[in-house]
Amino acid sequence: MTYAIAAVGFYDWMLALHLLSAFSVAAALVLYGVLVFSGRRSSASLEHARLLFRIAPVATPLIAAGTVLVLIFGVILAIDSDQFEIWDGWVIAGIVLWGLLGAVGRRTGAYYTEVQELAERDGGAAEQEVIARLRAPAGAVLHFATLVVFVLIVLDMLFKPGA
Amino acid sequence: MLAAVRPHSWDLAVFVHVIGAMTLVGGLITAAAAGIVGWRDAAGGLRRFSALTLFGVAFPGWIVMRVGAQWAYAREGWDNVPDKLQPTWLGIGYLTADIGGLVLLIALVLGGIGLRRARSGRGARLLRASTALAAILIAVYVVSVWAMGGKPS
Repeated sequence: MTYAIAAVGFYDWMLALHLLSAFSVAAALVLYGVLVFSGRRSSASLEHARLLFRIAPVATPLIAAGTVLVLIFGVILAIDSDQFEIWDGWVIAGIVLWGLLGAVGRRTGAYYTEVQELAERDGGAAEQEVIARLRAPAGAVLHFATLVVFVLIVLDMLFKPGA
Repeated sequence: MLAAVRPHSWDLAVFVHVIGAMTLVGGLITAAAAGIVGWRDAAGGLRRFSALTLFGVAFPGWIVMRVGAQWAYAREGWDNVPDKLQPTWLGIGYLTADIGGLVLLIALVLGGIGLRRARSGRGARLLRASTALAAILIAVYVVSVWAMGGKPS
């Protein structure tokens, strides 16, 4: 392993960290996706919703750190590389999509934070409202949109259109 | 995921591999998180959720990742290169994918039996063991992702 680490140069370290950051974002999106899917089941109850909201905080540091680090390491890679530049179309497209991911992701997060606050209150009326909001298409559509933007970023980064 | 510009004919295979790997890691993190958060719960809701996530997310992710890996391997022409000349990162990838697959299979079996026993209020230990294996696999796949990006020679 010592030899392996020694054989990894600066660019490759940055690429590995860029990739790990992207995986961190992806893992958080998968976790949220599982919670969204599970919350929409017909058998979902307030107790079930509270269980789901206990897992959600695990994804917060993953998505917060991942989205910032993936951009930082990406910019370092673009500056360091002699094969492409930061003003290349696909790199700019990636940065624009990254901004879009943040915007849609924030709206999704706000929707479910509101539902979580409601779930933590007591009372039968809250239960009906929590279940209704978890089953409503709004949250699922927002999360699906976040996933679509993320997949577009992955496609852009791998296919590098124009490169 | 900025990287060296590779021939475009490899891109789709690499995309399938990466999406599968992301789903696998996400599924493992979700399963481990649910199992650890619910580790001491008297009711086993989160432990069951953990095992079901391994079945429904991590396992399909592993299959897509592994199929994508083999496809990319063939596309990139590694099957024409003698084993001795293949780079370290490729070896790390194969080792972690296949041994990780075996460990995932054991976690799925433990989780499956645990889910079955949970119907009669038992199976907590098996579900915890399944969670522990998911947590170990996260560490294994972090090394694998590092190797795929850093590509140690």
